[in-house]
Amino acid sequence: MLFNTPQFFAFLLVTIALFYLSPKPIRRWILLAASYFFYMSWNWRFIPLLLSLTVIDYVAAIWMERVENPGRRKALLVLSLAANLGFLGFFKYYNFLASMLAEVMRRDPHAFALSIVLPLGISFHTFQSMSYVVDVYRREQKAIRDPIDYALFIAFFPQLVAGPIVRAGEFFADYYKWMPPVSEEKLRGVLWILLGLVKKMALADQFAQIADSYFQNLAAHPGAPAAWSGVGAFAMQIFFDFSGYTDMAIGMALLLGFHFPVNFRRPYLAFSITDFWHRWHITLSRWLRDYLYIPLGGNRHGALMTYRNLILTMLLGGLWHGASWNFVIWGGYHGALLGLERVLGRKRFQESPHWLLYPFRTVITFVLVCIGWVFFRAANLTDSMYVLRQMFSMHGKGGLIPAWLGVLLAVSLVIALLEEKTEWIERLAKGPAWAYVAAVVALLFCVELVGVTEKAIPFVYFQF
Amino acid sequence: MRPAPVLLASVLVFAAIEGAVFHTGIYPWIISPDSSTGSVESVLRNERLRPKTGAQVLGIGDSRMLLECRISNEHAAETGYTFGLIGTAGASPRSWYYMLRDADPDARLYRAVVLAVESYDDADKWGDEADNDADLSYLIARLRLTDLWEFSRSYHDPYQQWKAARGILLKGLVYKRDFEDLLRHPVARIKYVKQSYRDSFMWIYNYQGPPDSVADYRVDFNARTITPPPNADPVRLEGLKNWLLAPLPPESGGQSRYMKYWLGRIYEHYRGSPTRLIFLRLPRSGWARPDQPRYNPHSSVRDLAAQPNVTLIDEHFFDSLEKPELFRDQLHLNGPGMDRFSVMIAQEVSRILGPPR
Repeated sequence: MLFNTPQFFAFLLVTIALFYLSPKPIRRWILLAASYFFYMSWNWRFIPLLLSLTVIDYVAAIWMERVENPGRRKALLVLSLAANLGFLGFFKYYNFLASMLAEVMRRDPHAFALSIVLPLGISFHTFQSMSYVVDVYRREQKAIRDPIDYALFIAFFPQLVAGPIVRAGEFFADYYKWMPPVSEEKLRGVLWILLGLVKKMALADQFAQIADSYFQNLAAHPGAPAAWSGVGAFAMQIFFDFSGYTDMAIGMALLLGFHFPVNFRRPYLAFSITDFWHRWHITLSRWLRDYLYIPLGGNRHGALMTYRNLILTMLLGGLWHGASWNFVIWGGYHGALLGLERVLGRKRFQESPHWLLYPFRTVITFVLVCIGWVFFRAANLTDSMYVLRQMFSMHGKGGLIPAWLGVLLAVSLVIALLEEKTEWIERLAKGPAWAYVAAVVALLFCVELVGVTEKAIPFVYFQF
Repeated sequence: MRPAPVLLASVLVFAAIEGAVFHTGIYPWIISPDSSTGSVESVLRNERLRPKTGAQVLGIGDSRMLLECRISNEHAAETGYTFGLIGTAGASPRSWYYMLRDADPDARLYRAVVLAVESYDDADKWGDEADNDADLSYLIARLRLTDLWEFSRSYHDPYQQWKAARGILLKGLVYKRDFEDLLRHPVARIKYVKQSYRDSFMWIYNYQGPPDSVADYRVDFNARTITPPPNADPVRLEGLKNWLLAPLPPESGGQSRYMKYWLGRIYEHYRGSPTRLIFLRLPRSGWARPDQPRYNPHSSVRDLAAQPNVTLIDEHFFDSLEKPELFRDQLHLNGPGMDRFSVMIAQEVSRILGPPR
């Protein structure tokens, strides 16, 4: 049940109606049942895994809170993390490791492979669950006593399969002091859902068709213009796809009285790679910073260790996306760029440049990010190198992005620039009514006339 | 702001604009004449604008209904009837109903409507014609909100039913591809549309079929082979093989149910009107395959023939045209075949109707 299907909207409407029509004590049961139903609609076989991880971390956290002995607390933490990483490792990385082992042993690459179906959103809900256990271990979060509350935190359907990765503190602050959304929040929620829908169906899915046609048949599109437009199309696809999903998740949560953290802040307007990672998949960046980079030592042990920690964090961040060398390279590439920016002067890449330099820096950053996307999207390393060679070749004619989609992109850029300065999308919900109505009507027409409705293209991040 | 009134106002404004642009003639006016919708709109517009003096006969069918009105009307002095045609490539009996409903809303414009069918036996096809996806695209400009139930329910596949229902409600969803094409080349589109408005009637009216034929092909039904001439077009050869040598689809009765429903709807539209419905069976191919579909005494057209004002032209009336030298491919008559077909229709319809009153 994809977010951009009529079935999902029927499910959402029924869930919201049941939620608000029910007495308060049973609302959490309704949300939990809806969340499990949503997950089961993909594949009911994933349910035991989700339940197991929920039970393990729920018990581990309560136990950890009761135990005073630091050694035993650490042992419980390790046990919990091992269970999470064990499941994640098995489902996500077993075949990758098995193929490497087979290569080392000079056997057939599939010699030790298993037919494994990756449970949907496993990377997201395990990270969310692990952050909770670590927070309890650090005594930054109290263990949740009620299993239903905890199960809902893990399985809450707006963010279950592709984030944002919500901290327990954020979720339960809303949950335990739940207030019905005020009018402005309801209007904002609807706007976020529609905006997400437009991003997904009218932009991401349109660019997906261009990116797919390029990357699935590289030989048919030689030359630099085709390569840049193919890679550019993927850059747009992945941004609009993932941020569209997140916008919808934020909107749905708002309608149910929950406030999710922002996950994207116009990342392609970043003026440096450092800035990019403050704007792109913010909840993952935050997770990697708090649970990996800082525990590794962060920037507390000198320049060399800082670079090591940065690169290591980004390598693992890359690997989080998928079991392939391409993701590792993508992570390493970003880690190296972040390290380089530190070498060149941290302040220069963290503070906004002079407005005259801003466009230039933004274009440079976007180009660097696009080079990284080659590894992210290409099927393997050979293809990645081929695409890079094409991008920097001096031949070829004609790009792949049609003019009308370019116009649509230009309009999006203008909206993003206005949003960067004025946050007008947020302000629309405050009125006047005609402006809100005009925005909703424009969004509905975008979905109707430009949205891809003939086929349901899955969200890119569902595979992670 | 209170959410409910604002959201309701948003939906109402959207529906009002959507309705004004897509549920009226505004968008169909600029639709690409080469699109499915555009081709139906063109033939209907041409027919609407065609001067209609004297007794009129209207032909309808798919791409095989190759009635050249120019040729038929050359015999108008002799036959007493002037012919028009709203046949469109790919149009199905379901499309014919909606096209006729709009071409002749009061059911009294024509002395006869000539409907060209593939078979008098409702021979089944490999696919379910009720699930023909293209009908929605052909008809979208003709469909009204009141058609939502009947049209969408006429599909068997639930997804097609859903697609048809949402398409009738939100026509922009069906016009989407055309709209994207309009965004690509807006100026060229408007220019082409204007040119089509000006010239398309004469393009179609003066169309002369191609002279080439499949006479150089040799078909051996016993050996199940087709021997092409040197340098034969592989597409044409493949088409001949599929049409003449591939096994016939199993009989399921599905096509009969489909034809009975939609031809029945056409009959209902004309029931009690002065218009006669005349069915003809199209010339099948340059070669008649030996394994013809089983005779069906209760097929859609044979059952309808028992009704007043319905006539079937003899099933074998056009057999004399089933010669390879009169076909340009496995299905379609060539120029000389079309000329003879048109004269035969004009004369036979005139004989059935008698002199105009």
